[in-house]
Amino acid sequence: MASFAPYTYIQCPCHESASQGRPLDETPSPTSQDIPDDDDHTFDPRAPRSNYSLYPLEYLLYCDVCTQIRCPRCVAEELVTVYCPNCLFEVGSSSLKTEGNRCTRSCFQCPICIGPLAVQSLESAPDPSLLSAESPTTPVPAGPWILTCSYCNWNSSEIGVKFDKPQGIFSQLSKLRHGEDHHHQQHAKHSTSSGDLSPKKSDAAAPESHKARFNAMKAFYNAQNNALSATTAGSLSGMGAGDYGFNSPGALSRIMNLYSGGNNNNTSGGNSSTLRPKAKASAMREADSANEGFRVADLDEEAAVTKLRREGWDATATGEQAQAQVEEGARFTSDLWPIPYLLRAKRSKRCPVCRHIISKPESKVGNTRWRIRLVANNSIPSISIKPLTAGLSFSASTATIPTPTGGGGPGGGGYILKPLQPAQFLLTFKNPMFEELKVTLATPATTPGRFASKVTVLCPEFHIDANTDTDMYLEDVLKDGEKGGNAGRRRQGDEGTTHQAEAGKIWERGRNWVSIVVEVVPASLRIEEPPALLRKEGDPEPDLSPLREDEDILEIPMFVRLEWEGDVSQDQVGTTAGKEKDTKEKKELAYWCAIGIGRISQE
Amino acid sequence: MSSSAGASLPHRTVSSIRAGDRSSSQALPNAPHTPPRTIVPSAFGSPSTLRADDDVVVIEVGSRKLRIGFAGDSAPKRIASFGPEQQRRAGDFRAWEADYQSDWRKRASGKPWGADYELWQLDVRGQDLALIGDKLERELRDAFTKYLLTDSRPRRLALVLPPTLPIPLISSVFDTAFNRFLSPSILLLSSPVMTAMAAGTRSGLVIDIGWYETTVTAVYEFREVQSWRTVRAGKLLVEETYEFLAHAIQGRPSTARTERTEDKLEDKAVSFEECEEFATRMLWCKRDAKEVPQDTTEGLPTLHEQDESETVAPAEDRSPIAVTLNSCNPPKTVEIPFAELAEPCEAVFFEPHLSPCCFDDHELPVPLLAYRALLQLPLDVRAICMSRIIFTGGCSNIIGLRGRIFDEVSLLVKERGWDPIRGKGVDQYKNNPKLRRNGSRKSGEGPTPVAVRAENPSTEGGETAPPVNPAHAPPEYSKVEEDVQKFRNHKPIVQGTLRVIDSLGPWSGASMATQLKMPALATVERELWLQQGVAGACRPSEVDVKAQQRQSMGAGGLIRGQASQASSNWTLGVWGVV
Repeated sequence: MASFAPYTYIQCPCHESASQGRPLDETPSPTSQDIPDDDDHTFDPRAPRSNYSLYPLEYLLYCDVCTQIRCPRCVAEELVTVYCPNCLFEVGSSSLKTEGNRCTRSCFQCPICIGPLAVQSLESAPDPSLLSAESPTTPVPAGPWILTCSYCNWNSSEIGVKFDKPQGIFSQLSKLRHGEDHHHQQHAKHSTSSGDLSPKKSDAAAPESHKARFNAMKAFYNAQNNALSATTAGSLSGMGAGDYGFNSPGALSRIMNLYSGGNNNNTSGGNSSTLRPKAKASAMREADSANEGFRVADLDEEAAVTKLRREGWDATATGEQAQAQVEEGARFTSDLWPIPYLLRAKRSKRCPVCRHIISKPESKVGNTRWRIRLVANNSIPSISIKPLTAGLSFSASTATIPTPTGGGGPGGGGYILKPLQPAQFLLTFKNPMFEELKVTLATPATTPGRFASKVTVLCPEFHIDANTDTDMYLEDVLKDGEKGGNAGRRRQGDEGTTHQAEAGKIWERGRNWVSIVVEVVPASLRIEEPPALLRKEGDPEPDLSPLREDEDILEIPMFVRLEWEGDVSQDQVGTTAGKEKDTKEKKELAYWCAIGIGRISQE
Repeated sequence: MSSSAGASLPHRTVSSIRAGDRSSSQALPNAPHTPPRTIVPSAFGSPSTLRADDDVVVIEVGSRKLRIGFAGDSAPKRIASFGPEQQRRAGDFRAWEADYQSDWRKRASGKPWGADYELWQLDVRGQDLALIGDKLERELRDAFTKYLLTDSRPRRLALVLPPTLPIPLISSVFDTAFNRFLSPSILLLSSPVMTAMAAGTRSGLVIDIGWYETTVTAVYEFREVQSWRTVRAGKLLVEETYEFLAHAIQGRPSTARTERTEDKLEDKAVSFEECEEFATRMLWCKRDAKEVPQDTTEGLPTLHEQDESETVAPAEDRSPIAVTLNSCNPPKTVEIPFAELAEPCEAVFFEPHLSPCCFDDHELPVPLLAYRALLQLPLDVRAICMSRIIFTGGCSNIIGLRGRIFDEVSLLVKERGWDPIRGKGVDQYKNNPKLRRNGSRKSGEGPTPVAVRAENPSTEGGETAPPVNPAHAPPEYSKVEEDVQKFRNHKPIVQGTLRVIDSLGPWSGASMATQLKMPALATVERELWLQQGVAGACRPSEVDVKAQQRQSMGAGGLIRGQASQASSNWTLGVWGVV
């Protein structure tokens, strides 16, 4: 049973910019009209859209120059290195284009359990001890090689794949799959089709696999294209490459031919000499043979039915397995092929506005360090939440509290808030910056959503002292910590339970942190019709649907505005000339965040 | 819809055509070579857009799945499907908690069944379009970073869209692409056309058995002629599967399809995932033509040649198949006779025990819909399309379904021919020898049967003595003609027979088309979209083709192009206007 941990999510301000100026606004859009998309409306962390713009602080980057938060959605990325996560081999960007996004060496994942596959000799694989007893002097195993999974014991001989040599598995496998790939598809696809009235063209050399058919068809279209553009040189400014017989008078004349040419064969070209160029009219034909990628569908799926009947549920591939495959369409487990590892990329990230690099990894694959990484953790205050236990009338935060959700909810323990009973929480803001920070908070009086809890921030405006450099001022820090500790203790000791949270005053202050008190009155989670007396005419129907996921979590939307005096950013051209060391500039940053305080008990 | 079939083709904007013949290094239409475009300054402003089109990203958008990859590849690099896990906040790892899986009932509560697994509903009322944009963005970004391994330079996108997608949804996709991914332009491609293209043909009857609906689209010469729809598709199938499984769990024999209510789904006997998993893995479709689905008010019962191949009919196989269901409470292994596994398909796609008059327009069985679609087509289009039936869409992978639909369609054709007029009166009229003036007159009654006469003797049966009417006479044999055809390497077009051909799928078709620089159905430029939004799209007929062609004519076009700059119209092609 996982416990509920209080959390803070921050909404990246880029969310606003995209949602504004939606062109559909003027037209009667089918979106919910009652929520106007302007600055006035408070942010609702419950809205389904919020899930896409809320990030934990650790996910966010920060652009120094723009003094703005940058989330994964609003950075410009550049590739630094592409590599295989399995063999750590670096792949050039050109071969990425030609060879695709998967490792082309011998790195494969198990199609059943996605574990890594190892190349093994088929002889030694089943029972090495027995083999060594027979011929103890042969250390080098020979003979056909297979891929085996050490986790689920799958091996590639199950699908009839064996390799001649232990290197270059990828190319061997693709040759097996796309070249002489018949043992799989033939039995399923080469049987007489009953419904077809047309002669079925099945060459022996016909491309079978998807890829081969695609290439054949592409070649066919290309050839048609070239033939066309050769004959119609100069027509329509030589746009033969793009023209497929439509968008030109040729199409019209072709159709005319269809209707007017009584004895003519339907396919034009006959009497079109009177009309426009006959070359134009000789339209591109359709693919009609198998080596042009054309295939009459085989509707006889008897083999598949038989297989399904014989082998049942376990022989079919699960949805996940089928999805992990490189090519679509695997139905049975015997259709599953080893999955070459997806390549992975190291990326550097830039601020999309000022193009400054805000994150840049080491380019070496093995090196996991960063050259540049401006994380938001270093620039905006972190918020931690804990219940203010002293003198409060609710029991908090022990795992011993039985879960009222009946063993269901993904959060059992943690803070269980009793409905309609006020509870106080300490929010601790910690300033990571070297400047003093002025923080202004704002919350709506009640949380949005169906269950409106009351929220009061007792001290919405305060200063946090700068984060002094720990090395230089170690003494101060120690002293400060002592003092703070003393202060805290003194408070506890002196006033004990009588110490009350006062409006407008901060609760506690440290070297670079400040705690304030937030009082909440959780709403009752009972879903009932509002009394008829209170209902007015024209009120919307009350939403009486059962409790949704996470709707019992008390989540406070909080607007945080930071102000501080920072160094003038070096980027501005005007200021660089007469820049002095100690020029300061007022800066600000504002964003919404969602603070998950606790779970409201249902009773 | 059918406006696209008209003679004017203005929605093929010239810019993309021009891009076609230029060398690929500078093929972007808004490169500095193209003065009349308003976008030029911005193209200069950001040099990255100049290189942007080295590869176009092709995206096929559906209600459930997203296929993403580079143009020119044979298969998409990433096939993303939507799910509730995709909608979590970043850093929410509750999916890894121990009892997460058993807890699905709580998560699913308060939402329509399976709503989390869809990108959008086709009914756009009350939908949050911005949310659709967010979902799409997250999935696209994920695909770009993890699977395509691209940087975030703006790229041109080619969108493959199903026919008659509501414009608000298109607009939402566009907003995401233009605002979030800064694509310089979007090419719009039609999914059925691309399916036909990926089958190597220029025309076809594309039966797309998708999630919300099955669409039957007639494509003729790379153009959508008309599109018909029915709700008998994946969603209905999964709901039917739910009921089927619920019965199986309770041990009751699955009776005939009862009236389904939302409350039943609210019971949550089995989770959506498991229903879908079961539907994709285990369901199959009977393929014997014994059960003729439609009641045949006219025509004699026909013999079907499909029957004889059966040796041990799987439909009679009562051997139980064990399936372990984990999401029901408690987890249970149910044993279902193999024959019964075909029942959901039967009920969803065919509904054989009901007569066709029971169905509303939106819920016609798929074979009937396909037949009616063919019936409504002009005769030459029909002749071409009927021998190019293409199945696509997720549900067409169900074993035996394509064959069954095809069988039923051919049966319908055999029974009814191409006569749109049916009923007792017609039967009496036909059977009454007094009213019959002559044999050949009969085939002239409907506007259609003429098409079938020569090519498809099987449909007419042996009833009519064909060659009385000179129009029915076969063309004279001409040696010269034949030589000419032979010289041209000409092969006669297959038409008039029912035939199913295999397509590589719309994504692959679009990939091919984009790489071959085939003109898209419509091209939307970023600047214009940002200025005008979806309301700026004009009717395809309003676009001045001549003006645009003049612009494309090279040096002289510069001045005139500037003059006509104000009327730089764009369209959404077959998807219409607001």
